[in-house]
This record gives sequence, C-alpha cells and structure tokens, in this order.
Amino acid sequence: MLELFALGDTGWGDEILRGLLVTAELAVATLPVGILLGFLAAYFSLSRVAPLRALGFGYTTIMRGMPEILTLFVVYNGVGMLLNALIQWWNPEAGAVDFSPFAAGVIALGMVFGAFAGEVLRGAFNAIDPGQIEAGRAIGMSNSQVFWRISLPQVWRFALPGLGNLWINLLKDTALVSVIALDDLMRMTKVAVGVTKQPFTFYLLACLIYWALSVLSELVLAAMERRANRGVRRAA
Amino acid sequence: MTQSDIVLKADKIHKTFGQVEVLKGISLQARNHDVISILGSSGSGKSTFLRCLNFLETPTSGTVTLHGEEVVVRNGKPANPRQIEQLRKRLGMVFQQFNLWSHRTVIENVMEGPVIVKRETKADARDKAEALLQRVGLTERMNAYPSQLSGGQQQRVAIARALAMEPDVILFDEPTSALDPELVDEVLKVMQSLAGEGRTMILVTHEMGFAREVSSEVVFLHEGRVAEQGPPQEMFAHPKTEVFERFIAKVK
Ligand SMILES: Nc1ncnc2c1ncn2[C@@H]1O[C@H](COP(=O)(O)OP(=O)(O)OP(=O)(O)O)[C@@H](O)[C@H]1O
Ligand SMILES: [Mg+2]
Repeated sequence: MLELFALGDTGWGDEILRGLLVTAELAVATLPVGILLGFLAAYFSLSRVAPLRALGFGYTTIMRGMPEILTLFVVYNGVGMLLNALIQWWNPEAGAVDFSPFAAGVIALGMVFGAFAGEVLRGAFNAIDPGQIEAGRAIGMSNSQVFWRISLPQVWRFALPGLGNLWINLLKDTALVSVIALDDLMRMTKVAVGVTKQPFTFYLLACLIYWALSVLSELVLAAMERRANRGVRRAA
Repeated sequence: MTQSDIVLKADKIHKTFGQVEVLKGISLQARNHDVISILGSSGSGKSTFLRCLNFLETPTSGTVTLHGEEVVVRNGKPANPRQIEQLRKRLGMVFQQFNLWSHRTVIENVMEGPVIVKRETKADARDKAEALLQRVGLTERMNAYPSQLSGGQQQRVAIARALAMEPDVILFDEPTSALDPELVDEVLKVMQSLAGEGRTMILVTHEMGFAREVSSEVVFLHEGRVAEQGPPQEMFAHPKTEVFERFIAKVK
C-alpha cells in the first residue's frame, strides 16, 4: 500500500504534497487580505458616519448570509467577466484572459474571512478599557497615536481567539477552491481517488493532513495568546 | 496679586447632557502653587467639570484659559480644536480607576507620554521615569505590569505618568476613592508632597482631611453651581450656606 504514496511517477505522494502546498499558499495569501478587510469592516461599522456604518454592516451581513461556495462562483465568474470586459474596452484587439482560480480563491475567501473578522474586531475594539483610551487622550495623544499605541496592541488580546477560529475555518474552506479547478489538497485527493479507486485510503489521508494543519495552528495560536496576554491577570 | 499669577482659568463652563444641564456656568481660577479641592455630593457635577478642563468632556459653552491661551467653546464646539491636544500636554490627569495601560510595564507607562507625545529621546525619558518612580517609591516594581501591582501602587505610577509630562497643572478625579482604606495614605502622602513643592493641583475628593489640611482653596459644588468657595479653614469653621453645612455634617 505504501507505494501508493510514493513520490514520483509510481505513487501519489508528490501530487498530494503539491496539493498541500497549494492549500497552504492559498490560506497564507488569504489571511492578510482577510485581516485587512476585517479591519476596514470594523472601522466602517464603528464609524460615526452613518453611510460608512451602513456600508460596513451591509458587507458583513451579505457575506455572512451567502454560502461560501456561492461567493467563490460569483468572484470567479463575475470578476473574470468584468476583467475581460474591461480589457476588451481598453484594447479590443486583446484576447480573452483567464482569471486565475488562485486569485479568485484569495479574493473570495478573503471577503468571507473579512466579514467574520470584522465582527470579531469590532467586538475586540469595544472590549478595550475606555479609561485607558482616555488616559492617552488626556496626555495629549492624537487619535492616531491612541490607535497605534493603545488600541491596536490591545485589540489582539481580545481578537486572537476569534481570529484563530476563523483561520482554522479558512484552512478548511480552502477545499472549496477545488471546484474551480485549483489543484489544492482536496482536488488532488479526488484525482487520486478517481484513478486508484481507493477512496478510503486517500480521504483518510486528506483528513489526517487537514487535521494536522489545524492542530499545528492551534499550537501556534496558543503560544500567540500567551504572548498577547503578558501582563494581564488571568480571571481566577 | 497680578494677572500673570493665574495659571488656569475656567470661565462660565456650561455642560448639558441631553436635556439635563449638569454644569450651570462654573468659573474657577487657579494661581501658581494653588491646591484647589472640589467638593460636592454625588451627581453635583464635580467630575464633569474637571473633565471639561482638559476637554475629555467638551463643554457646551465656556472658556478654558491656560497661561493666557484661550480655548473658547460655543454650541458644544471648540473654536479651534487644534488647541486641545496642546492644552492636554500641559494638564496632567490622574483618574479614579488609575487607567494605566495594561499592555505596558510600569516604566513604559511613565515613558510613553514624553516619548510619543513630546518626542523626547528614550534615554532621556527613561532617566526621568526612573527618577519619578523613585520619588513615588516604586523603583523596585519598574518592570512589573500594572495588573501585578496593588491599587495604591498603580495610582502612584499614574501620578508619576502625569508628572513625566511636566504639566503646569495636575487634575485629580477622586484619586483615592477606588482604593482599599489601608492604601489611601500612601497616595495622599505623594499628593501632599507634590503640594509641598508648589505644584498647582485641582482635585475632586471625598477626603475631607486632605481638603482641609492641604488645599489652599475649597470649591463646593451644588447642583452644577459653585455654592461656596474660599480658604478651607474658614469655610469649614463658618459655612455660609445651608447646603455646605449639611454636606459637612454628613461627611463627618
Ligand atoms: N456622559 C454622561 N451622559 C449623561 N449624563 C451624565 C454623563 N456624565 C455625567 N452625567 C450626569 O451628570 C451629573 C453629574 O455627574 P458627575 O459625574 O459630574 O458627578 P460627580 O459630582 O462627579 O459625582 P460623584 O461624586 O458620584 O462622582 C450626574 O447626574 C450624572 O448622571
Ligand atoms: Mg465623580
């Protein structure tokens, strides 16, 4: 059975590993996009300007209400079409381009992550002790100094557990991109199953790999939480 | 007494929350080396007034003047919002709940203002912070986090943090009210020594002993107005208004 997993032409080991790499790349590339969108969403929904607030809440509600896979299709097909229309308009001579499934994955998963992260961050900003913010203002800090020196360093402490959960969801949601023909871990597993007719073996392997990824993430997250909570008395 | 003796002046400060007028035109002048205690029963507007002085609460109208620099407010809007950060740099504030930054160590709390707001070098700020922490008796706890300190220690750090900005006036809002009784004295001692070295201070307090012994002037607020003010010995010995008389009787 081991030869099934061999690297090279005879086994599926190298294909699966390449799939794992794509999955990891996708998740890692999505994270900063998602966090950035999350901060924007939180900033908008905490804004004192009503239209910005509406925008923030609108984005959050729509993204949370849509099945992830639908978001992915909309981005992949919709953005691809839009891109081609723009190119045609710019230069009618140019041929059609393919919108990369990887980019579609990053954008779609980033938008989903961002909507949920926006909620987590909004809660985290609200959890910061207002007295500490006042202390900053009382000493003559500008709004941006208060944000960078007081709010942001503390927001991680409140947001980290929630963001950690979203990261683990993201790792698993990457499997959705297999439907738009990105050769991630899930798709390579399906290909291997199709060829070898050994579904149990390969699905079990995929399970173990996804599970290992989330266990690894949890370990890293636990260490990050310990660091973020330096100087904070644990609730007894 | 000349005009230039006056460090901080508040003129006809009004504050309305919703429909309720909490401050009904309060004026106050602090001269150099004054220690002014603001007294009054709960809800009389003491904290609101103090917070109007450094614009943590924006008055509905009135003028705050620090060393001749006027900040005028009409209809709840300061004429020149840029003045407010400048004003705050020169007015220290010590809060009832200490409000130390929980993600920074004791010395980092004290260095933050000088480094970030006044753009002093870290080395200078550190030297100054160490001296101030020694002064409030916390050299040993320099690298601790606020949560590892007692309330009294935290409040002494907060005082050092305010001093590090070298403020012209320090505002205290009930600095000992959140402390266990046995920790009150260590904070009052520090405040007394500040008064002794001629710092200009304005404090809201329920510590009658401190108000009587240490302050140069007492201002008694009642329902958003100054009901009575004057030198403490005289005021406590011969209250002029019935409300202040009742107030003293109650806190005795
Ligand atoms: N942000 C606010 N919004 C609405 N009302 C407020 C606000 N802050 C204070 N008040 C009201 O203003 C009045 C004065 O409050 P303030 O806190 O200044 O009283 P205080 O004299 O400091 O009382 P205490 O001794 O209890 O601290 C109170 O009736 C209070 O309910
Ligand atoms: Mg008060």
